[in-house]
Order: sequence, then C-alpha cells, then structure tokens
Amino acid sequence: MDIMVALLMVGLMLLMLAGGVWIGLALMAVGALGMLGFTSRAPGDGMAMSIWGMGSSWTLTALPLFLWMGEILFRTRLSSDMFKGLAPWLERLPGRLLHTNIIGCTLFAAVSGSSAATCATIGKINLPELMKRGYPESMVIGTLAGAGTLGLLIPPSIIMIVYGVAADVSIARLFIGGVLPGMMLASLFMGWVVIWSLLNGTQIPAAGVRSTFMQKVYASRNLIPVVLLIGAVLGGIYSGVATATEAAALGVIGALVIAASQRALSWQTFVASLMGATRLYCMIALILAGSAFLTLAMGYIGLPRHLAAWIGELGLSPAMLLVALTLFFILLGCFLDAISIVVLTMAVLMPTIHTAGIDPLWFGIFVVVVVEMAQITPPVGFNLFVLQGITGREITRVAVYALPYFMLMCAAIVLLYLFPQIVTWLPGQMMG
Amino acid sequence: MRAALNLLYRSTGVLAAIGMVATLVFVATGVVSRPLGIYLRGTDAYAGYSMAACGFLALAYTFKHGEHIRVSLLLERLGPRSRNVAEWFSLIVGVVVTGVLAWYSVRMAWFSHEFGDRSQGIDATPLWIPQLLMVVGTITLFIALLDDLVMRARGCEPVRLIVPGQQSSRME
Repeated sequence: MDIMVALLMVGLMLLMLAGGVWIGLALMAVGALGMLGFTSRAPGDGMAMSIWGMGSSWTLTALPLFLWMGEILFRTRLSSDMFKGLAPWLERLPGRLLHTNIIGCTLFAAVSGSSAATCATIGKINLPELMKRGYPESMVIGTLAGAGTLGLLIPPSIIMIVYGVAADVSIARLFIGGVLPGMMLASLFMGWVVIWSLLNGTQIPAAGVRSTFMQKVYASRNLIPVVLLIGAVLGGIYSGVATATEAAALGVIGALVIAASQRALSWQTFVASLMGATRLYCMIALILAGSAFLTLAMGYIGLPRHLAAWIGELGLSPAMLLVALTLFFILLGCFLDAISIVVLTMAVLMPTIHTAGIDPLWFGIFVVVVVEMAQITPPVGFNLFVLQGITGREITRVAVYALPYFMLMCAAIVLLYLFPQIVTWLPGQMMG
Repeated sequence: MRAALNLLYRSTGVLAAIGMVATLVFVATGVVSRPLGIYLRGTDAYAGYSMAACGFLALAYTFKHGEHIRVSLLLERLGPRSRNVAEWFSLIVGVVVTGVLAWYSVRMAWFSHEFGDRSQGIDATPLWIPQLLMVVGTITLFIALLDDLVMRARGCEPVRLIVPGQQSSRME
C-alpha cells in the first residue's frame, strides 16, 4: 500500500514537472491531490495557512534581503576592482592569474548568496582579461565553473536559508558551518591549478609586469570595499551581534554605500536592482510556498515517516545512505535547479536523516556541496548555462572543462564524511 | 483590456517592491534601535508582513515576466503539436491550483476577521489585515494565468512584460 502511494505521488510529480507546470504550483497540486486521495482531511485550509506561515515568517526575511544585496553588487564595479587588487599578488604562483578566478569567486561568494550570480559577476570581468593574456581556455572556463559554485557554500547562501527553513536548522549556524568547507574546496581547486600548471608549464603565459611589494599593497586598496562588506556580514553573524536577517540588512545598506561611492548608484540602477530582486525572491517564494504545503500534506499522508522506517529496516549504514543520496541528488540535478531539489526532497527526507543519526547541520552542508555538483553537470546546470552565455561555447564543452572540479568536489565530500569537524567545529565556537 | 491588465500586473509589482524596501527598513530599525535602548514594538513581525507583501504581490508580475521557473528541458524537445498539448495542460493545472489557492486565501482572511485572530507576537496585529496581501497577490496570479489561458484559446502567444535594462543577475 505504502509503496503504491509513494509511486503514485512520484509519478504524479514527474507528470506535472515534465508537462511544464510551474514548479511551485506543481508541488501544490501534488500535495492537494495526495491529501484528497489518501487522507480524510480537506486540503484547502491547510494549504492557505501553511503558505501564509511561510510567506510571512521572520526567519525567511534574510532571503529577499540577500537577493537584493546581490542584485546591487552585480551593478557595481566590485568585480573589476577585485581583479585589479588580486592580480599583482598571484603573478608568481604556478597557474598565475588562473587563481584570480578561484579567489575572486571565493571572495564574491562571501557577499553573494547564489552561485549563478557569482559565476556571472566574476566571469564577465575575468574571462576577457584572462583570454586576452592567452591563458588556456579549458582552465579559464573550468576554474570559473568550479569556483563559481562556491557561491552556494560560502555564506551568505540562498540555498542554506532554504534548507534551514525547510529542515528547521539555525541559519546562522549553517552559514558559519559553510565557511571552512568552502575554504577547503577553494584550496583544493587552487591545488589542482598549481599541479596542472607545473605539469603543463608551457601553456601558462609569462608573468606580466613585475611589481614591487609596495605596489602590490597599493593595488590591494581595491579590495577594501569587499573585505569590509564580508567583515560586516560574516563578522556580525559570527560574533552574535546580528542574526542572519540583520546581517542581510547590513549587507544591503553596505552594498548601496559601495555602489554610491563608485558613482554606480543612479535611480535607474536602484530601481533595476530592486525590481530584479523582487522578481527573483518571488520566483523562489512560489517554490517555497509549494514546498511548505507539500511538507504539510506529506506529514498527513505519513509518507516521510514510513520512508524513514523503511530505510531504517534496510539497515543501510550512514555511508551507504549518503552515497545513495548523492547519486539521487545528482540525478535530480539533471533536470531541476538547486532550490527545487532541496525543497522537494526535504519535504520527505528529514525523518530519515534523523533516524539514521546524521547531524542535520552537517547534512545541510553535505546537501549544499552535492547540489553544487549538480550545478555543473549537464544537461541542466545553471552555472553551465551562465558560462555558455558569457563564452558562447557549447554547454557540453564547458561541462568537460568543469569535470576535474566535479571530481574534486567528490573528494571534498569524502573528506567531509571522514572529518565532520570541518563543518561542526566553527559553529561550535560561535558566540551568542 | 490589455492595458488595464498590464497596469494591474505592474502596479502590484511596484507595491511588492515597496514591500521589499519596507522589509529592509523594519529589519534595519530593529538593528539600530536595540543598542540605543529604544524598544520598538514588533519590528520583526512587521518585517515578516512586508516580506509577505513582496512575495505575494509580485506573483503575477513575476509570472508575466516569465520568471517563475518550470522544467523546460522536455518542452523544448517536443514537436509543435505535443508542445501545444503540454502548454494547455500546464496552464489548466496552473489556473485550477491558483484558483483554489486564491479561494482559500480569501476564506482564511475572512475567518481571521470573523474570529478576531491576532498575531501571536507582541505586535498583536489583527491577522486579516496582512493576510489581505496574500488575498490580493493570489487573486492577481489567478487572473494572470487565466489571462494566458484565454490568450492561448484565442490562438495568440501570451503577452510578457519585458522592461529593457531590468534583467536580473540570474541570466538563465
């Protein structure tokens, strides 16, 4: 019986999604039909109440604000300033300016919540600069595709807010938990670039003009705005001075100040960033609304509970479960975006995670890394689309360039599994 | 008629954007007032209602920009005839779901009003007032989908609001 219910719901969901029903509405439709078919409750009132609760909850207010901050920064000169500030320091490292992609994405990820925005913002400046200097295309596009995904892992992170709300985990702790794994991943990427460059030294163009130490320091002044902004947002959360939402408000104000100081803030850009952020938030809100109701409906049907019990009976070890989930998420990533994957599966999976004795905080970071991997796997990977848009290369070619970084992410997951402290240590040190 | 509908979508979009600004203002007020020792009642709750204004009121506006996401992978591979079937299917499902949602939103706000429900927080706002935002937002979304369905029935392509220079950074 249970298996039949589950299969029917999955089939219904696939039909709706494949038929092109807007994802948020598809989740609502499946939830409502499930409740009509398998419970004695009427779905309508629960639908309205759960969606109202989600749409007006204080915890979620960080989401629209971080989206707005990203939209403002996208319209500033922040990324070209970062290139100018970083380049002199990286000329001597094997791989030279390829590292500006990785460090640039890492820094921008610390002020942006989305990987597509990170990839696009850094890419639009770095790609032409690096191609002009003759760096190999495979490495330029590959590093950008790989490091762009850090936008999700390094806080602030839209997907962590979504996970935190769906799984009832503290968003501030998730944010801080993502810092070390993000830096680890960035180091892995940089390590790969160093090794590749040592093996293929001839393909890396010679260093540009040699600059003195003082010149380097002077060039670094370009990094001051982004560093201040990171300090305000992450420092506020870590020290317990600000909640995630309050840090987001500080971030928006900081981004407006940066835009104003660069004279990039006109009434037009302000309105464009505001309307852009409003639509982006609304798009995510509709999916979240659907998932809020689907979670409620699933709870009434009892499917998550039964699934948890069933997987419990299978006697899978946590490692086996995580391998299965990784494959499942990557498969879903072939046709769904990151947020939809998280809300869809969390509606059903959380009891299973609790039963298996997996720490929900650690699992959140795990999910983010796996979903990041899904962002650079064809046929649907938003970072691939973004890079295809900037470079005009075939999506399949971009995916091949991104493959080494995909493998490094697999390695990162193994490391996170072996050393869960990478995730849990820093949140344990938080004040407040 | 077209002009009136577009005005409806655009004006709810603008109101939603004001909701976004209000969210920022209420959260920032909370941040600033706390260390100063000023105690402002319920800024958290008002930030939540402002966010509700932003999310719900923008529904139709976002829909008409074609920015609510759907799985397009299959749609794009279908031939013209099966694609037409899929478009009809998704629009009919959409109209039914948003219609049901709008109806039950009205019902929720009505019951909140009848029973005098108030917010659990210290703001103690009568809940029907902010819930009206959801009522307006879901009804305009229903209208927007109905609009698309009618357009398709007449055999024309649904109208999209495109404002030059207002692309978001998502770039998909």
